[in-house]
Amino acid sequence: MSAVTAGASAAVKESRAPHGLVPALLRVHRSAFLFWLMLTAVCLGALLWAAGPGADAALAEYRALGCDRPGPGPDCHFSGSAVGRHQLAVAIASGLVTLLPVLTAAWAGGALTGREMENGTAELAWTQSVSPARWLAAKLAVPAVLLVAGTFAVTLLHRMLWSSPKNSLDRLMGWYEWHDDRVFEINGPVATAHTLAALALGVLAGLLLRRALPALGVAVLAVVSLVWVLDELRPRLWPTTATVTSAGSTPNPPGLVVEEGALTATGARVPVPECWGELDCPAESGITGYYAVYHPSSHFWPLQLMESGIALAVAALAVVAAFRLLRRRTGAAV
Amino acid sequence: MTDTAIEAAALGRSFGRRRRQALEGCSFRLPAGRVCALTGPNGAGKSTLLALAAGLLRPTEGSIAVLGRTPAAARERLAYVAQNKPLHPQLTIAGTLRLGRDLNPRRWDARVPERIIAEGDLDPGARIRSLSGGQRTRVALALALGKRPELLLLDEPMADLDPLARHQLMATLMADAADHGTTVVMSSHVVAELEGSCDHLLLLGGGRVRLAGPLDDLLAAHTLVTGRSGDTLEPHTVVESRTTGRQLTALVRPAGPLGEGRRTDRPSLEELVLAHLRSPEAPPLVLDTEQEAAA
Repeated sequence: MSAVTAGASAAVKESRAPHGLVPALLRVHRSAFLFWLMLTAVCLGALLWAAGPGADAALAEYRALGCDRPGPGPDCHFSGSAVGRHQLAVAIASGLVTLLPVLTAAWAGGALTGREMENGTAELAWTQSVSPARWLAAKLAVPAVLLVAGTFAVTLLHRMLWSSPKNSLDRLMGWYEWHDDRVFEINGPVATAHTLAALALGVLAGLLLRRALPALGVAVLAVVSLVWVLDELRPRLWPTTATVTSAGSTPNPPGLVVEEGALTATGARVPVPECWGELDCPAESGITGYYAVYHPSSHFWPLQLMESGIALAVAALAVVAAFRLLRRRTGAAV
Repeated sequence: MTDTAIEAAALGRSFGRRRRQALEGCSFRLPAGRVCALTGPNGAGKSTLLALAAGLLRPTEGSIAVLGRTPAAARERLAYVAQNKPLHPQLTIAGTLRLGRDLNPRRWDARVPERIIAEGDLDPGARIRSLSGGQRTRVALALALGKRPELLLLDEPMADLDPLARHQLMATLMADAADHGTTVVMSSHVVAELEGSCDHLLLLGGGRVRLAGPLDDLLAAHTLVTGRSGDTLEPHTVVESRTTGRQLTALVRPAGPLGEGRRTDRPSLEELVLAHLRSPEAPPLVLDTEQEAAA
């Protein structure tokens, strides 16, 4: 009986990954993980400052200029120094998050896998008691957990800042729209999904090319292309809404405009005529109204989820490819 | 406990799109507890064979079993030191050994590597990147032995060491292997480096096995013959023969008594290996301990 139990527990022990794989990974890539901690701290610090003292100072300056009253003067189009600092703090955080996929891809391709394949330290790990597949799983999982935790915290804080009460920060943040690339990405899971795709593509590039510098270059190129394609594709990821306004006014849809133009009496969509804005323009050009095809702000979550889904699918494909590649090369099952 | 450390059957590995054969049709058996010299000219396939045994490469043909299992299943019980002694340059020696402990939680014995590091007068706090080539070799060997392997695969282990360190480290290695019955496979193209410490030989040439078997049996199977030029060496298998003036020197595998009027010597390991390297056309000879016993 006890022999059976001992055998079973030995089998369980046998099938478990060595506990030391995570500490080993943290030790080998310690400087990169410390750098990531620092980067997250800078982002969170900048956003916290912007939400607290930065916002207070910017609002005080705004009020002092009289910009919070109806019909603000021309000075209100220019930012004072406090408003400038507030915007800089937000821009630092969102800029770093925009840059994060590129940094992640460069590190994952260059240092995490490429360099280890190039100088043989990957094989050093594989001839300890760690199989290549477990090594790869840890190489993906540990950075993924750290990246998700950090990016998620930054996203939450930015959302808090973004959606704070209208009477305070709305006008300061009003310089950006919800659908601007950097605002859109940082305000939802898209930033995290981009970063995870970058990690997976970087790891795959490192395994594929087996050299640090080429892997770094290819990974960065792949991620920059992916993010660019997703930015371009974004308006098409969810059905759009159309709005029509009369000839007398101009269309001003509150959201991400995909297409806009003018309507004729027959209902045909034509480009906005050159005389647009002149009083007798509608009669002269036969325009009966204007239309706009756009995404209202209610499309924020569907667009976020679609784009995150695509980025995560790319990440999943890259992960599967990486495991298959490793398995084909080393022939090791687990 | 299996009594076979490595068994290869028609093992082959090719690389790249042109399917360049690094190894082909290799069959041999290495009994456990042996210290095997793996030798051959550059590009003979020594490193490929060791990487296959270590489970780092998948065979493209045939099979290889290590300690009675696939190399991947035997991963915990074997250790491998690659030719370029890869280590993480940013870690300290102590950090490198902690890595070994973390990655081999069920087998690690810290005393062995600590002793090897201390014997080399190395500071455990020193970073790997600050070490010389020989010192790195010492750390790599310490890491490999800390795992308490049953099979130790060493690719050109002594190439970076000065003669004194080589002698000392080899002695440590051999004492450790003898104490624990570790099977050691050591590759080198410097035959003199292997003489005296090995009791088994595996000679590769052009990706094929040229000689394999217990060293004593292989040496006993060959005779160095000195005679007059023009002598016939039939029916013996001639590995290599050279004529200098009126004198004939040949390495043969005798098929029977060699006859009168000739001087016969037992070849040294170096003579045996060099003769085979100089004549790639000589037929291979694979001796297996079990075949010997049966015969």
